Amino acid sequence: MNEGQKGLEEKVLSKDMCAACGACLGLCPYLKSRQGKVIKLDDCDLTTGRCYAYCPRSQVDWEGLQTKLFGPVYEAIEMGTSRKIVMARATDPVWKGKVQTGGVVSALIDFALRKGMIQKAVLTQREEDLLPYGKIVSQREDVFSCSGSSYISGPTLEALNQGPWKGEERIGVVGLPCQILALAKMKGSNLPTQTPIDRVVLTLGLFCTWALAYKPFKAFLDARFDHRPIRKLDITPPPERLLKVWIGDKVEEISLDEIRAFIRPACQVCPDMTAEFADLSVGTVEGMADWNTLVVRTQRGEELLEQAVAAGLIETRSLTKENLGHLREASLLKKQRALTALKEEGNPDGGYLNLSKELREKIQS
Amino acid sequence: MNPILHQSGKIELLMGNEAIARGALEAGVQVCAAYPGNPSSEIITTLAAVAVERGIHVEWSVNEKVALEVVAGASFAGLRGLCTMKQNGMNVACDFLLNLNLTGCGGGLVVLVADDPGALSSTNEEDSRLFAKLAGLPLLEPATIQETKEMTRWAFELSEKLSLPVLIRSATRISHARSNVRLGELPQENRKPFWEISQTRVTFPVVKNHQRLSDKQFQAAENFETSPFNLYRGPEKPEFLIITCGSGWLYALEAVVSLDLAHRVGILKMGTTWPLPAAWLLDHLSKAEQILFVEEVDPFLENNIKAFFAQHCATLGIKRFFGKADRSLPETGELNPDIVTKTIQRLLNVPYQTRPTEYADRARETVEQWVPGRDIGFCAGCPHRATYWAIKNALALDGRKGILLGDIGCYSLGMGASGFFQMKTLHAMGSGAGLACGVGQLGRFGLDQPVLTVCGDSTFYHAVMPALANARYNGANFLLLLLDNSGTAMTGFQPHPGTGKKANGEPAPILDLKSICRALGAEVEEADPFQLTETTETILRLLQDNNGPRVLILRRECALIRGKQQKKLFQMTIDQGRCLGDQCGCNRLCTRVYKCPGLVWDPTSGKAQIDEAICTGCGVCAEICPASAIGKEAS
Repeated sequence: MNEGQKGLEEKVLSKDMCAACGACLGLCPYLKSRQGKVIKLDDCDLTTGRCYAYCPRSQVDWEGLQTKLFGPVYEAIEMGTSRKIVMARATDPVWKGKVQTGGVVSALIDFALRKGMIQKAVLTQREEDLLPYGKIVSQREDVFSCSGSSYISGPTLEALNQGPWKGEERIGVVGLPCQILALAKMKGSNLPTQTPIDRVVLTLGLFCTWALAYKPFKAFLDARFDHRPIRKLDITPPPERLLKVWIGDKVEEISLDEIRAFIRPACQVCPDMTAEFADLSVGTVEGMADWNTLVVRTQRGEELLEQAVAAGLIETRSLTKENLGHLREASLLKKQRALTALKEEGNPDGGYLNLSKELREKIQS
Repeated sequence: MNPILHQSGKIELLMGNEAIARGALEAGVQVCAAYPGNPSSEIITTLAAVAVERGIHVEWSVNEKVALEVVAGASFAGLRGLCTMKQNGMNVACDFLLNLNLTGCGGGLVVLVADDPGALSSTNEEDSRLFAKLAGLPLLEPATIQETKEMTRWAFELSEKLSLPVLIRSATRISHARSNVRLGELPQENRKPFWEISQTRVTFPVVKNHQRLSDKQFQAAENFETSPFNLYRGPEKPEFLIITCGSGWLYALEAVVSLDLAHRVGILKMGTTWPLPAAWLLDHLSKAEQILFVEEVDPFLENNIKAFFAQHCATLGIKRFFGKADRSLPETGELNPDIVTKTIQRLLNVPYQTRPTEYADRARETVEQWVPGRDIGFCAGCPHRATYWAIKNALALDGRKGILLGDIGCYSLGMGASGFFQMKTLHAMGSGAGLACGVGQLGRFGLDQPVLTVCGDSTFYHAVMPALANARYNGANFLLLLLDNSGTAMTGFQPHPGTGKKANGEPAPILDLKSICRALGAEVEEADPFQLTETTETILRLLQDNNGPRVLILRRECALIRGKQQKKLFQMTIDQGRCLGDQCGCNRLCTRVYKCPGLVWDPTSGKAQIDEAICTGCGVCAEICPASAIGKEAS
């Protein structure tokens, strides 16, 4: 089996299984991205390659990676390993009104940069045309510019692969679950030519149920809003579930049913709602617009949160049992849907997800 | 003194095309015109070099039809004129030629067409002789270099005698072969042109003129009866007769000698191949019952003589013919002595080994050992390689499967590996833009693939201008990439209206490509193909437009023209420590994909290296290297 560009083409790109995470980009001259799509410029005939090895949709040894990064035995099947799960929000008034929901991600990255835990952060920025791309930042104003979501996946990790990185620089990365998974695969890879993954000391994952494909979604918005520039996008938490579009001085609402067609097929087979390989995963809280849910998974994640709380930049509360229950349910449901989708595509054994039979049964029971 | 002007009686080693030029000079030619095309180009180059000294007019015209009209104009005013072209050129010129045959000419007018059997440097291997029959014009085919000169000189006399243009058909192995030629007299004075105003040159009344043309063919055939260009060599009563012309004559001769068949086989060598000299032919056809035709490309003599035989079969009796029709000889591709020898050997059942196997093996081994393994492709430092790189990447990034329609020039190699297989069509001069006029209309039916076409600077003046005018008028959507490398590179750097130089080296006004395109209503931008990233972005951006024809002029001098005039732009180096070689992250992008011949892969070190002898220092590879291992320093 080809585990190079050809394998990537056969198993991922040609099957529309690309999540546009950017893990395969910036490594070689053959793959580039344009308008949210990975494009092959020339054939590469190597039989193993980093493009294939790092791709979150090529082959994933889910349990193996979990064991490697979080210790033995993967038991927390709903939403991955965690040291604690809380709700939190940024208390520093500088973040008010500038960030999505509780502002925890921006506040934590800003804090980690200022404390010297990391020297650079790889974030995702969007231009007026909403196209996301990776951006390397070190200043607070740059962190501001990267806050907010567009629900469009973009090749953030291309920026990580490309650098440039200097000296002993350590890096924090904020990414979607697919991007965090790609980072885990990079960490776990033993291919000789490495990426700057060894510099990555902090990963913040963003909860994600799906992301939209750029081109069709942009065409839809352009048709709907006559090419006017969009300031912000937000999806309200359930049960409302509306896409709010800030355009000019107005806020327009779109039913999610109208945009479901633009969901990337790669997201349908994704089992990971909560970025299970991150140091710390962040999402919204049902019914509380100003708060974030935090899943703290590693010691480093825990230390960062504790220091930020101690510095008075973040406040935390415990999550209600009901909220936690809903979260677990939603996360498990995503896993079940992914397995069902894979099964429907003729992969009863989980396809690219190398899950043990036991784990598959556990998820589906 | 240019050897082409040496005095009468001297023996010079001349190329076939130079012999044609000398023959024309001996005939007192005063106006010569052509559009370059292999294998005919050197005729005009040779004449242009002595144009000032001889006081004659020699020009590179924008296309073959115009060239023929230029020469006909001179002929109408009583001067001798020579128009040369390759076989494809005849297609361009034939519209005029098939009217000129009806009006006839004044001063001797010779049209020389050099065919390219085997299509060594052509898009087809058509046989231009069919035009002689189509136009009812006398046709001559030289078989040796000396004869090439004599025939050219005589063709002018024949033309004046018949008041008809005379065609000469050369071929690669005549035009490009060299041999000793004994020179003849050069005339001392030029004629003074005068247009006899009572003489009209109109085709009307057509039927009357057609009849006159037909009568002239009989006259021409009579002239051929005693021509020294037709000869028979062989026994009085041969058991086997070979009828041949052009380069086939020497092939047949060599075959008969090496098979030791001179006492059994006769060779009828024809220099005047249309119309047929009836009495002479009847006499020789009666010699043998088995006849083989040896001629390049089409069975022209074969078919015409068979028809002639049908007319006279009552006298001639039963014959058996061999040739292309019965596949005794291959119907396509170029002939050579081996092929002809094998055919004769088979037909006459005589033993002969054309080349000992052991020798053939040794020859092959030697070639494999010493000849560098290179694909057919662009030269080192060729701007076209960079251009196709940008096209390839732009089309891939655009993602809509854009269609690149091709044209004629060095850049035709865009169909192959060195152009990354981007070019999808190849036909005639200007056909890329013409096809784009059609494909560029299909958006209305739902074609959502962008349409692109390429053409060179010389091709643009030749046949693209009408297509661009058509595109603007009818609103065809496409992007024309005009690859301006400052010359007619593929045929040997002949000047054209954009170069500011005439055929004889005199300065000429420049017809600016950009202004012409603008005047034709197209949006025009310019880019430097060596700036890969910018050029790719520009192409990508222009592909998004949908407003009629757009032109992107990609300007960079041909690397060979540049190489003749100045030193390398850059001194290139490869940092062996940085070069990733075939590792993930590069996998030999420069030597495996970009494939400039100036870059070589060293399998021992697993790194790329610069071939100093070949590298022209264009600097483009420094931009494509993903590891920044290729360095360039201004030299």
